[in-house]
Amino acid sequence: MGKFLLRRSLGAIIVMWAVATLVFFMLRAVPGDPMLAMVFDTGDPAAADEMRRDFGLDQPVYVQYVKYFFQVMQGNLGTSIYGSRVPVSRIVAEAFPRTMSLALLSFLLAVVIAVPAGLISALKKHSAIDHGVTVVAFIGLSMPDFWLAILLIIVFAAQLQWLPAVGYVPLAQGFWPWFSHLILPTIAIGTPFAAVIARMIRSSMLEVLKSDFMRVSRSKGLLEKRLLIVHAFPNALIPVVTVMGIALALLMAGTVVVENVFAIKGLGRVLIQGILNRDYPVVQGAILVVSAIFVFSNLLVDALYTVIDPRIRYD
Amino acid sequence: MTRKVPDTCDVLHQSAKDDLAHAYDYDPSDPLFGLHHHDLSGPKLQRRTVLRLLAAAGTLSATHLLPGMGVRSASAAKSGGHLRCAWAGTAEIVTLDPARMNQVLQFQITSNALSGLTHIDANLVAQGDLATDWSVSPDGLEWIFNLREGVKFHNGDPFTADDVLFTYNRSKDPKESIHSRVIGNVEQVSKLGDYKVKFLLKAPQASFLVKTLERASGRAMTIVSRGALESMGKSQYGLTPVGTGPFRVTFHELGQGVVLERNEDYYDPDRPKLDKVTITPIADPEPLAAALEAGDVDLIGGNTPASELVDRFESNPDLVVNSVSDPGFQAVWMNPWREPFQVSDFNKPVDQLQKEKGFKVRLAIAKALDRQRFIDQALFGRGFPAYGSINPAMGFFFDKDLGKNSPQRYEPEVAKKLLAEAGYPDGKGFPTLRLLHNPANRRRAQVIAGILKRSLNIELELETKDGPVVLQDYLQMNFDTALLGSGGDFDPDDAIVDWMQTESKFNGLKRDKSKMAFGYFSDRQADKLIDQQRLETDPAKRKTLVQEANAITSAKVACAFLYHPMSILVHRKKVDYPAESRIPGLVEFDRVTIS
Repeated sequence: MGKFLLRRSLGAIIVMWAVATLVFFMLRAVPGDPMLAMVFDTGDPAAADEMRRDFGLDQPVYVQYVKYFFQVMQGNLGTSIYGSRVPVSRIVAEAFPRTMSLALLSFLLAVVIAVPAGLISALKKHSAIDHGVTVVAFIGLSMPDFWLAILLIIVFAAQLQWLPAVGYVPLAQGFWPWFSHLILPTIAIGTPFAAVIARMIRSSMLEVLKSDFMRVSRSKGLLEKRLLIVHAFPNALIPVVTVMGIALALLMAGTVVVENVFAIKGLGRVLIQGILNRDYPVVQGAILVVSAIFVFSNLLVDALYTVIDPRIRYD
Repeated sequence: MTRKVPDTCDVLHQSAKDDLAHAYDYDPSDPLFGLHHHDLSGPKLQRRTVLRLLAAAGTLSATHLLPGMGVRSASAAKSGGHLRCAWAGTAEIVTLDPARMNQVLQFQITSNALSGLTHIDANLVAQGDLATDWSVSPDGLEWIFNLREGVKFHNGDPFTADDVLFTYNRSKDPKESIHSRVIGNVEQVSKLGDYKVKFLLKAPQASFLVKTLERASGRAMTIVSRGALESMGKSQYGLTPVGTGPFRVTFHELGQGVVLERNEDYYDPDRPKLDKVTITPIADPEPLAAALEAGDVDLIGGNTPASELVDRFESNPDLVVNSVSDPGFQAVWMNPWREPFQVSDFNKPVDQLQKEKGFKVRLAIAKALDRQRFIDQALFGRGFPAYGSINPAMGFFFDKDLGKNSPQRYEPEVAKKLLAEAGYPDGKGFPTLRLLHNPANRRRAQVIAGILKRSLNIELELETKDGPVVLQDYLQMNFDTALLGSGGDFDPDDAIVDWMQTESKFNGLKRDKSKMAFGYFSDRQADKLIDQQRLETDPAKRKTLVQEANAITSAKVACAFLYHPMSILVHRKKVDYPAESRIPGLVEFDRVTIS
């Protein structure tokens, strides 16, 4: 297991390097001059040349790349070239708690809805409950998250005035202010994921319930409840955990549209804003963090398999 | 000229009648309303001066004239409170460092925290801010400013002439400031004492007080604190700048928002009223509207809210919608280096130009643009038809007859005829052209394409690109037609110097100069008039020069001028936003109160 983790960690670092390199060159291939973008509207385009020199953007791309590479190796993500020249690490560090709060709550909501819904749906196959869960899941799947987000804002913020419409309050300012600002975005993000996971649990459970070992266990006279919880459910979890791992990684990488609707500057919004402003260091830094989240959450999922199913061994 | 005195004087006693008569006794076309500069200087204004300003702003009422009531004293108004604002159309306030700000929505905030030597008022007239008064030499080159004494920066450092010099030296360095060009006409700044500075100009400049030294839109001479910059570092200063303004910036996280708190040491003890202002950027229109309607925010600043929301706000009894003309213009630009718009030389007289095929097409498009239809469909009625770059917010300089006199006036039949004469009868054979625009202008581009299809039967293919790409293509003259324009034009220089001269900063700056001798427009007479108006310090003479230059750019179709935007301020009824703070394009909190 130790060797496996070491090998996968090294692989993860190589993946991150490849992603960072690809993003570095792709960004520079995208049309749009970041310096002109900054001086537009009210600034002086002639100053753009001066700043381009200042940031080294007038140098050949390979020179810029080598500099960037050594900078990252030293743990330095650089500074934003648009606006206040804020360090990228600070921008990412400020966005991270917002994204984490949103991701974990949404994930929790998705699991809390999906597990019972998926289980009941599988156990009561073709019943009215199963059809009901299926219909609700499909509605959840087919609703665009931004649409659901706006609907929630109109109903619960504008009309009923129960919850704040937009914004984020750090947890340090109190649990309720923090939580109340996250309820609507959590529902908007968590509901579609709940639908996906519920459908996955249902089909996986149905698969397991039909398997030989379940028939044997049942014929041995095991209690139905124990049969389901101890035998069927853990076996059904392997594909579900894979999907959950991807879902969690997606959530932690930021949910751009919903973050935008609720005016929460998480990682997704950092990334989009960086792309719109052609703020190369911000995009490179954010992508690096996002790719780290993806590869290491996948690694975590792989490690979890051994806990869920002892038959899986990596050594 | 004397304006009509309202009938309200019947109920007033003799002294009030005199005050009222005096208040309205001015020429409405005079930018200073018949007041002398010394009437307007200093922190305290004479009663009669204030009544004149109220009259000019159309807000003078009988209560201002009653004994004991007078003009509402700032100190008598309700103080304290927390104002929650949304900043529309933006995901973050990228910077508040004057040297790096590039959007109006940024200097809307810094205008509340930082000061300049001057600050424009609601009529776009420069008033003393950190300067108490000033004098100018007869040749218009030497400007001597007396500075306000006893002013402190938010970090406790005293404000002196050294800070003016430091700000100037910082801003003139293009590595430090993107606005170095704004002070390009300043030869030297010298200290004549702790509270006296002299600006030596290379050439006289009419817009010096309104454009260069202005605290909000000026930026180059928005006074920064050397001590704070050195102790905080540039990036932190860009987030929480230290100035001498009515509010301190106490918090700023990108994307999260900005918090302003009352500066207890502000030089005017009667201002600000509010204890605290929080500013949250909200990019999307619907959440913005919901936040306002739900009472989560009290006022919308930043970009003008989406036009489609404004009717909804107006029908809400809890909200106040205040619309005034916004300083700026938008236009459809036609590339004179590409068919079918080719014009080899704009210097020819208009009657000769009108014989050229390319010019006929340009004029046909300008005349076919039904601006009112565009404003109704694309802006939900919120805008003013444009025929030149000088906007109605500039009041004194705006030529209200240009719409009637300009060859660009809407005449669809003449436009069709011109197009036919250019070889495209009923649009037949006209090439499909691309209309370059950014995503935010998509609806506007669609409406333009629809209007031109309907009136001239020509096709415009929409070319939507990100803002930076649109700008790059525009500056390189890499477009058929382009939809963009200017904002924050408080002085004619912003509109004509920056856009309409051969060497204007937006006029094909990045074009291939070996292939294109000029950018989108070049006319010697317009260049000359614009240079002359820059130097002319007599407002009446300057107005004539500005309007002449503006008329030439319109007649020679530098572009098809489209509309002047509206500045729309929306707030809840409990917010008292006084008329004197209603400076187009800005959001001034220092006199605002909340119940």
